[in-house]
Amino acid sequence: KRYVRKGVPLEHRARVWMALSGAQAQMDQNPGYYHRLLQGERNPRLEDAIRTDLNRTFPDNVKFRKTTEPCLQKTLYNVLLAYGHHNQGVGYCQGMNFIAGYLILITNNEEESFWLLDALVGRILPDYYSPAMLGLKTDQEVLGELVRAKLPAVGALMERLGVLWTLVVSRWFICLFVDVLPVETVLRIWDCLFNEGSKIIFRVALTLIKQHQEFILEATSIPDICDKFKQITKGSFVMECHTFMQKIFSEPGSLSMATVAKLRESCRARLLAQG
Amino acid sequence: MAQAHRTPQPRAAPSQPRAFKLVLLGSGSVGKSSLALRYVKNDFKNILPTVGCAFFTKVVDVGTASLKLEIWDTAGQEKYHSVCHLYFRGANAALLVYDITRKDSFLKAQQWLKDLEKELHPEEVLVMLVGNKTDLSEEREVTFQEGKEFAESQKLLFMETSAKLNYQVSEVFSAVAQELLQRDDREGQAPQGDAAVALNEGPARQAKCCAH
Repeated sequence: KRYVRKGVPLEHRARVWMALSGAQAQMDQNPGYYHRLLQGERNPRLEDAIRTDLNRTFPDNVKFRKTTEPCLQKTLYNVLLAYGHHNQGVGYCQGMNFIAGYLILITNNEEESFWLLDALVGRILPDYYSPAMLGLKTDQEVLGELVRAKLPAVGALMERLGVLWTLVVSRWFICLFVDVLPVETVLRIWDCLFNEGSKIIFRVALTLIKQHQEFILEATSIPDICDKFKQITKGSFVMECHTFMQKIFSEPGSLSMATVAKLRESCRARLLAQG
Repeated sequence: MAQAHRTPQPRAAPSQPRAFKLVLLGSGSVGKSSLALRYVKNDFKNILPTVGCAFFTKVVDVGTASLKLEIWDTAGQEKYHSVCHLYFRGANAALLVYDITRKDSFLKAQQWLKDLEKELHPEEVLVMLVGNKTDLSEEREVTFQEGKEFAESQKLLFMETSAKLNYQVSEVFSAVAQELLQRDDREGQAPQGDAAVALNEGPARQAKCCAH
């Protein structure tokens, strides 16, 4: 755990992620499965949904441009299509394109990217991407509860202004900080995500909020809040990923998986009761 | 201007333009974010899909008055509906955007209208139908006439745009802003008042007499 928290070297990242997440084991136990998913009958609605986003995934990255050879768009398309067939309850959900895109860039391997995506979407994260997105809504409520407990002034402000957490943090959860935080920082977060599970997301979120508490408290309206939550993901604090990673384990205080599980249970029940 | 003895006004002082909430709705990849970006920053680029919700503000001058538009951009993918309907709340205006080269997006806009009417009082929100991507008119699947007829049948405002070529984008927002101000003046009440109060008004709001 200590070593992973200090960052996995880029050249070993793919291997370490595969091992830590159980993706390697899954891949070894299911030889040929990935390729069969791509050979089977295709769901045209799924294909359309994925195609819509291909040109819009990392358009600034040369490797994802249509004109590049070999073009990663095809790889991305395959990984997402295979996943949609594999996990039909989820299919394709916007946000997964960014996650798969990062996985492809790190592994340089289509099949490994698929199994890592499966580890994230199928096991590590709760149901963020299912049609009702209940896991996402739940975790946003959980974050709200954690903020209320650990950073009560911010919690009170959000309540007073009537800001829904989903408004300001959807991207954080759905894209796992891709395109929210700097690339190197995201990769360091994912190192821990694969190793320690989804509570890392709360650590990052709480650290961002705590570090900028005074700044956030200046907000006097919902637009202010939206703007401030955008700004706190920029600047030197998040660029210096080494210090940032140390802070996420010190700043929010203790956060056990048991606490998170309990909060998830109560928030989920509350959401279901609301209908 | 004398600050001291001003009588309390139900709406913000002239120095603070009245704020209106506008939501952008429509299928994925029809150009909602591009319209907002073009309008707010006069820029056009390859935009990443909107996940969740994005937010912009712009102050618009309409004649001598000005108002602040709070533009809420929403995710187009259907999955996000259950998350995004929360953003409808308190909206004063909605742009229902479709892509003129995709019939399905036009049909989807009609569906959005129904959803919107479930959430908000039809009298309460000004809706404009927007057919985007006129720069791709050789691939057009929805004619201007079809868009116009649907808009008229539902009493919506209507325009076609190209965010890419900057065709009629500011016109869309100006038209909405102008109409919002007119409605607001007719009603003589702050747009951000308690929605519950506004809902009770019903036919009484036909009154157009009070000149401001």
